[in-house]
Amino acid sequence: MAEAQVPEQIGGAAWLRRRQKAPRGRIEIGDPFLARLLRIYIPVLVFVVVTLFPFYWMFITSIKSDTELLDFHQLPIFVREPTLKNYEHLFTQTFFPHWALNTAVVAVVSTAISLFCSILAGYSLGRLRFRGANWIGWAIFVTYLVPPTLLFLGMAKLIQVFVLYNNLWSLILTYPTFLIPFCTWLLIGYFKGIPRELEESALVDGATRIQAMLRIVIPLALPGILSAGMFAFTLSWNEYLYSLIFMNDPISKTIPVGVTQDLIRGDEFFWGELMAAALLGSIPVAMLYSFFVDYFVAGMTAGAVKG
Amino acid sequence: MTNDELVEVFERDPELLDWTRRTFLKRTGALVVTASLAEMWAVACGGSSTSGSTGTTGKPPVPRKGARIVYTQWNSFVPAGDTEVRRQAKEFSDQFGVEVVVQTITQDDLIAKTAAYVQAGDGPDVISMQYSWPHLYTSACLDVTNEVNLLKQKLGAIHPVNDAYCKVSGVYRAVPYTIVMNAWSYRTDYFDKAGVSPFPKTFEDMIIASGKLAKATGKPIAQTVGHAYGDSLTMWLPVLWAHGGKETDASGKVSINSPETMKAIDWALRAKAAGEVFHPEWLDPDNNQAYHSDNISATLNGPSIYIKERDTNKKFDKVTDNAVMPAGPKGVFTMNLIFNQAVMKWSKEPETAKAFVMYQMDKDNYLKWMAAAGGYDIGPFAAINNAPIFQSDPKLKAFHDVAYDPTGKPVGYWPGWPAPPSKKSSQTQAEYITADMFAKALAGTSPQQAVKEAEDRLRNIWEKP
Amino acid sequence: MSILTRAGVGRVGVRRKRPSPFDNEAFLGYLLLVPTVLMLTIFLAFPFIYGVVLSTTSTEVGDNALGQFVAFANYVFEAARDGVFRTAFQNTFTYTFYTTIVKFVLGLSMALLLNQVFPLQRFVRAALLLPWIIPSVLSTLAWRWMFDPTFSVINWVMNSGLHLPICHGSTTCVNWLGTPNTAMVAMMIVNIWRGTPFYGIAFLAGLQTIPIDLYEAAKVDGATRWSQFRYITLPMLRPVLLVVILLSTILTFADFQLPWVLTRGAPYNSTQLLATWAYTIAIPGNQLSIGAAVSLFLFPVLTVVIGVVLLLLRRPE
Repeated sequence: MAEAQVPEQIGGAAWLRRRQKAPRGRIEIGDPFLARLLRIYIPVLVFVVVTLFPFYWMFITSIKSDTELLDFHQLPIFVREPTLKNYEHLFTQTFFPHWALNTAVVAVVSTAISLFCSILAGYSLGRLRFRGANWIGWAIFVTYLVPPTLLFLGMAKLIQVFVLYNNLWSLILTYPTFLIPFCTWLLIGYFKGIPRELEESALVDGATRIQAMLRIVIPLALPGILSAGMFAFTLSWNEYLYSLIFMNDPISKTIPVGVTQDLIRGDEFFWGELMAAALLGSIPVAMLYSFFVDYFVAGMTAGAVKG
Repeated sequence: MTNDELVEVFERDPELLDWTRRTFLKRTGALVVTASLAEMWAVACGGSSTSGSTGTTGKPPVPRKGARIVYTQWNSFVPAGDTEVRRQAKEFSDQFGVEVVVQTITQDDLIAKTAAYVQAGDGPDVISMQYSWPHLYTSACLDVTNEVNLLKQKLGAIHPVNDAYCKVSGVYRAVPYTIVMNAWSYRTDYFDKAGVSPFPKTFEDMIIASGKLAKATGKPIAQTVGHAYGDSLTMWLPVLWAHGGKETDASGKVSINSPETMKAIDWALRAKAAGEVFHPEWLDPDNNQAYHSDNISATLNGPSIYIKERDTNKKFDKVTDNAVMPAGPKGVFTMNLIFNQAVMKWSKEPETAKAFVMYQMDKDNYLKWMAAAGGYDIGPFAAINNAPIFQSDPKLKAFHDVAYDPTGKPVGYWPGWPAPPSKKSSQTQAEYITADMFAKALAGTSPQQAVKEAEDRLRNIWEKP
Repeated sequence: MSILTRAGVGRVGVRRKRPSPFDNEAFLGYLLLVPTVLMLTIFLAFPFIYGVVLSTTSTEVGDNALGQFVAFANYVFEAARDGVFRTAFQNTFTYTFYTTIVKFVLGLSMALLLNQVFPLQRFVRAALLLPWIIPSVLSTLAWRWMFDPTFSVINWVMNSGLHLPICHGSTTCVNWLGTPNTAMVAMMIVNIWRGTPFYGIAFLAGLQTIPIDLYEAAKVDGATRWSQFRYITLPMLRPVLLVVILLSTILTFADFQLPWVLTRGAPYNSTQLLATWAYTIAIPGNQLSIGAAVSLFLFPVLTVVIGVVLLLLRRPE
């Protein structure tokens, strides 16, 4: 096959060139507008509306005053007298900014740790051949079968032994237990997909395995690593049970726990503030993601153009 | 407590060992300690089950300067109450040169956290225990018999329900703290319109009232029959008891499959037919929400509905009043939410912790807290069960009467009655067995079937080998 | 040596180094696994073993030490005598099965759509990710508010907005959380809403890696869009499909937050799932060991489910 060329430089950009551009920025010739409308635009619209309606509702709720909230005699899907009271309450009467910071810190650091572990593990299990590789791969995956509602008691004991109660490190060190397995699996898949010839030729050229790993394989798996990172960040951002059990101080909580503790008083849900917190706890992250998703796809395309 | 458990406790708290020795010596007049740890402990704590309640008392706990304790309670439904708790904590801290950190946790999550603390063997110094938790976490709670006896001297007799919850095998594992009362809040304007006055005094009257209300106003009497922590069993266990039904008898033998239970279910079905609405999906906030938004005419709840209308919403406060539980063939039965404070065995400052608990129970401080909470709580001791707030706001009378009748006699029962509180009654409560039974019958399952299922589930718990 | 360098094997001037231990596949393989194995052993192995041991004893919360050893008695007890367990078991299967299928279909459609060109692409991509990003506790609360027995905006839309006949003109159109079937449907809706982005993005990534020459070649051969999909897209997506479906199945099976926050198992346990039932028994119900046993029931069940999924999806290597 013509594609099996040995690349000229170590770096493999030429390999990227083989991969064609994703069908982006192109409209097929002869694709009439009506057909596109039916096939693409309308379905996309439907998806967007269904996905975003709850967020619209959350937004409306967050700018409604208490009295308007419980008044169903008028159109509930519009707001008559918008107020920023709920947001103000969130920022002044609760520790919301702290919670946001805590959640971000925990998510970033635990994602970093997980990525570090799973990149190495993924490479090892995906490209190196040695005894027991399969077993270990399965063992890592199998850890997912144990639900956190069972694990948290044993973990509580561990955290107490390590004297990490109320310390964000208790979360940073325990989150990888559910982040690493998935990231590893994802990365094994990506690593497996990178042709062996690249490494082989590099080794033949005199590089060590580690150099080959660092200079060739890992950069090529960057989209996969980014995806894994995104998923890890999200799962970590989302986590509730461990954070509830390990963090005690109101100021050290993470968003899911802090919000539900302070804005729900058994008999009463402070819907306005709750929805405000929900929005603030997700939209900034989504905007950040939108850049990465772009990068991730652009990475593929850019590589093809540059190469 | 066994000797081994005592050794563990004393290792963590040498001062407690000193106290035990000294008290033992004082009480027995012995010159030398030859007894085992367990014997010393028993004597120091006031001896056997009977003497525990009349109890000789030792000295009150003294806070240690420079100590830091963590006090954990639920996130109260009335925020003003929590504010007062924090204020008192600060006052105590300043007065004694210590630091009291107040932590509040949502009611639902408090049990998970408490279980985690107990399993890990570490956590806050004082935990607010709901219902029969002292029975569940007995070995993690310090003996506070001394403190309770001191309070009994100062404040009088303890409400039997709090007492039953705090006392485990003759030893007090928690200090009675408060009762959150449950009564019916209703809209006087709708009731007047329907020609129902006063609030029905019997369950049969309630059926008639439901019919009238539904026809005249379209706003039903509504209650949860689901898994609402605070509102579900406080309704359905009294309904069951008032008709003579019981989950188990006093010895723990399952006795729910009885004609009386069928009568209770029959009542529920007839009430539904008359127009009363029972929601299986309602959680605690739902009836509050429905009431505040003018969708229902009456519901059973803690004082939070009335207090919110009176103090915050001010929309239906003038047309809201409260009433006690109606009577069934066997009388009036009520069930309230019970809180007690436990000092945990892992606490490094048990004396300070106990001292803070005592501080809260000081009559003046307690009454201040009751006032701040606006009538949400009632004290479990004779001297603090009739605060000024109940006089200044006559509409709160019903809430007072569901815990203490007008003569001052305590009323009310606990989940699992007539069996004494235990781990089994606690599990029964956690699984909402009785509520589910009514819910299924109301949804169309044959009553016999619903009762049989409840019986099986109860047997799984009470008669497990 | 000089012959080899003069023969110009690759870069001039790079001498062949002495093979270091790091070049040994096996050694490097194990070495690279160390961080992962370390993290998982310390923080996962102990709690897991603790959980397993718990399930074979009769421990309750507050017990100072583990209770008596009862081997599999807890498991037998649950399976044979606990009606709620059986209900929860069934519910969990139903829940996982239907949501996985729907998420798969919707996720794939989403990926195919996002792979196309249309205005505001970036916005749409970010927007479609939102349900996955927002903390599950908070989004489930929002949905509860949307399904609220009194204030459901969905009912409002169905009744006052769209005037659907099944509403009979009432604003409490469907009692979403009040009857067993609708409550289960409500739970599934929230799960699907929350989980589809995960499928969508993963499939999109997979789609991006399919070389376009395959499609070009197929078109030249006269293949329709549908057969292109069937014979190129789907098979090439298999590895991604596998990972995503496996993971999603496992996480959905063990889902706790959603049913707990949305329904608490009501009405009368018809939306009780294994995870929430295990939790109810263990923590408020105080029976740690039985709760652990229920949790661990998931283990063999999931293994079987995974086996089935693998069988269906794994391409012979």
